[in-house]
Amino acid sequence: MYRFWKQFCTVKQMSIRLQHIKDHILAANQCAEMSSPPYSPLTTHVLNTGRGIPAASMVISLHLRNHTAASWTLLRTGATNDDGRCPGLITREAFVPGVYKMRFETGRYWEALGETCFYPYVEIVFTITDAAQKFHVPLLLSRFSYSTYRGS
Amino acid sequence: MFNNLMHTSCLHIISCVADHSMTTSKTGSLLTTHVLNTADGVPGARMALSLHRLDPQMALWNLVSKGTTDEDGQCSDLISRDEFTAGMYKLRFETRQYWESLCQSSFYPYIEIVFTITDLDQTFHLPLLLSRYSYSTYKGI
Repeated sequence: MYRFWKQFCTVKQMSIRLQHIKDHILAANQCAEMSSPPYSPLTTHVLNTGRGIPAASMVISLHLRNHTAASWTLLRTGATNDDGRCPGLITREAFVPGVYKMRFETGRYWEALGETCFYPYVEIVFTITDAAQKFHVPLLLSRFSYSTYRGS
Repeated sequence: MFNNLMHTSCLHIISCVADHSMTTSKTGSLLTTHVLNTADGVPGARMALSLHRLDPQMALWNLVSKGTTDEDGQCSDLISRDEFTAGMYKLRFETRQYWESLCQSSFYPYIEIVFTITDLDQTFHLPLLLSRYSYSTYKGI
C-alpha cells in the first residue's frame, strides 16, 4: 500500500512538473508572437550618440513624394521603441520605387530629456529604385551632430 | 624721434586691425560650410547649395542666398551680419546634381540640414561629409 502510494505521489509530482514545463513553453511562444515585429522592407534605428543609448520614444514619420503635385504623402507616423527602432514602417506591397522622406522629431526628443538641440528636426530624403531590396536608414544623433547611412 | 616712430607704428597697426575687423563683420562668414566627398577623399567642389530662413508666421521658407562650393569644397558669405537674425534656417545641398556631374548616382537626391540660431554672437560652421550612401554633419565654429 505504501509502495503504491509512493508511486502515485511520484507520478503526480511528475505530472505537475510536466504541466509547469508545458505552461512555460506556451508562455514563451506567446511572448515570441507578441514581440516579433511586422516585416518592413524599410527600417530605421535611432541612436543617441551623446549619451550612448538608443533614442527611445522619438516621433518619426515616413512620406512619399508625389511627383505630379510636388508634394509629400504621409505614409506612416510612429515612435521609436526602447531600442530606438520603429518596426512596421511600411509593407512590402506599399513599398514602391520613388523618393521617400523620413522625418525625425529631434527637437521634441531632446526637449523631453530637458535639453536643447541644434536641429529642430531631421529629414532624410532618399531615392528607392529597386523596391525588392531591404533598406536600413539609421540616424546617429547628438545635440550638435548627426549622421546617417544606407544599410540593409 | 624713436617715440614718434613707435607712436606712428602703433597707430598703423591699430588701423590695420580695425580695417580687418570691419571687413570681417561686413562680409559675414558668420555661417560657413565645407563639403567633403568622403568616398573619394576629395573636397566636394562645385556643389550647388542654398540657404533659407523660415518665416514662422507664414510657415514658408524664404531663400536667403545661393552659392556653389569652391575647389576646396567651401562656401562662405552665405549671409551678412544685417541679415543674420535668430530663427530657423535650412542649408540645402544639391547632392544628386553633384554626383551626376561625376557620372554617379546617389541615394540622396538632396540634403537639407535644418538648424536653429539663437545666439547671434557666435559663428556657425556646418560641414557636410558625404558619400553616395551616407552623410554626416555637425555644428562647428
